[in-house]
Amino acid sequence: MKTKITLALSLLLFPTLAHADSQWTLEESTLTYHVSHALKQTEGVSHAAKGKGVCHAGQCDFLIAVPVKSFDSGDSNRDLHMLQVTRGGQFPLITVRVQLPEYAVPVATIEVDLDVQFAGQTKDYKQIAFQRAEKGSDTVITGTIPLTLSDFRIDPPTLLALPVKNEVPVRVEMKWRPEK
Amino acid sequence: MNPKVAKLVFGARILLFAFLLSVPSQAQDAGATVSGAITDASGAAVPNAKISIKNVSGGQSTETQSDSSGHYNATDLAAGVYEIAVSAEGYSTNILKVTVAVGASQTADVKLAGVLSLQDLGISSGEAQGSPTDQARLNKRSHMLMLHQRLGLIAAVPLIATVATSFGAGGRSTSTADRWAHLALGSATGDLYFTSAYFAIFAPKIPGTHSRGQIRVHKALAWIHGPGMILTPILGAIAFDQKSKGEKVHGIASAHGAVAIVTAAAYGAAIISVSFKF
Repeated sequence: MKTKITLALSLLLFPTLAHADSQWTLEESTLTYHVSHALKQTEGVSHAAKGKGVCHAGQCDFLIAVPVKSFDSGDSNRDLHMLQVTRGGQFPLITVRVQLPEYAVPVATIEVDLDVQFAGQTKDYKQIAFQRAEKGSDTVITGTIPLTLSDFRIDPPTLLALPVKNEVPVRVEMKWRPEK
Repeated sequence: MNPKVAKLVFGARILLFAFLLSVPSQAQDAGATVSGAITDASGAAVPNAKISIKNVSGGQSTETQSDSSGHYNATDLAAGVYEIAVSAEGYSTNILKVTVAVGASQTADVKLAGVLSLQDLGISSGEAQGSPTDQARLNKRSHMLMLHQRLGLIAAVPLIATVATSFGAGGRSTSTADRWAHLALGSATGDLYFTSAYFAIFAPKIPGTHSRGQIRVHKALAWIHGPGMILTPILGAIAFDQKSKGEKVHGIASAHGAVAIVTAAAYGAAIISVSFKF
């Protein structure tokens, strides 16, 4: 019964929310890629992402961009090698675009389609789940993008003639702040 | 008539009647029109926008495009609730619902918001665009460092052999053949070492990057094995000359063994320091 009332109220409120323009700014972020090899696991972290979101007429458009060279694995030589294999000299940014209806934003688990541009290639990841939590006035989004090297035509680097795994999941932690 | 056959005929008549009724009903339902203008946030017309019109009950769906003045028109629609999705290059997709009455002309104007751009994030076009030159520099650097790595590993083989033969070359009971073998292996090590060092020293530097992590140890150790690789053969040549004259190795040449051991140890440590990286 309670659920039904909430649903009915949501439906009543929806037209009002849908047409109210709102903007979001990415305040803080931690993006972590994870590379697996038979002999070793490596992680690279970036806090340099920039992002913005605009909701208009019930539709939201989010754009996030992060420089490839901002990922730090703790070893400059490895980071430069990563920059080279991912063609970061020619394509210095990774961009992620998300378009979703505004009613899909304020839920605990957001399932979104991601449009990722990386290494000069574009790949759509469908229905990726992100967890959403409120932290004061900010909204914290966490989740993992199941990125693979082959999606972006990246030749896997090798260690002792063994290539790293194709799967390079990217853990995302973002704090979004609504603009007033 | 057989009662079973009669039942079948009756059923068929009902079905036929229902079908005949449904045909004019559908024909009557169709004929509604949805039209409108597609504009951007400033009110300017958006031509060539793709308009997908879909009956939400899973029935009719059609697609059309806005004309040069941003107008679209979808005809011959049956009554019902439709979802209209409008998308255009450079704009965020907008979806709205309209209810179409039988035979009515429904207007549904759609305003498209522009998608966010990198400039909206404060990223200049210079930051967003890389260059083939930068990539070529990175490729050259990686290629040269790969050669450095391979030659460095290969050089370790004659280095170990040189150390192994040193016991026959420098001890009390030495032979000329042992000394020559030691000299030849040492020379091969030196050649490979300096070729390998060339690729590391002359690999292009990437502006704005500072050494971090294991590579710092690797570079620091080069300050030990580099001078060692120069000094060791000089001291070895003096020692070789003294031995060839039947003299005991003396003076500065007596440091040859110690310098060689420190050099080889630093070289081995340098290899290990970067062996466990991608």
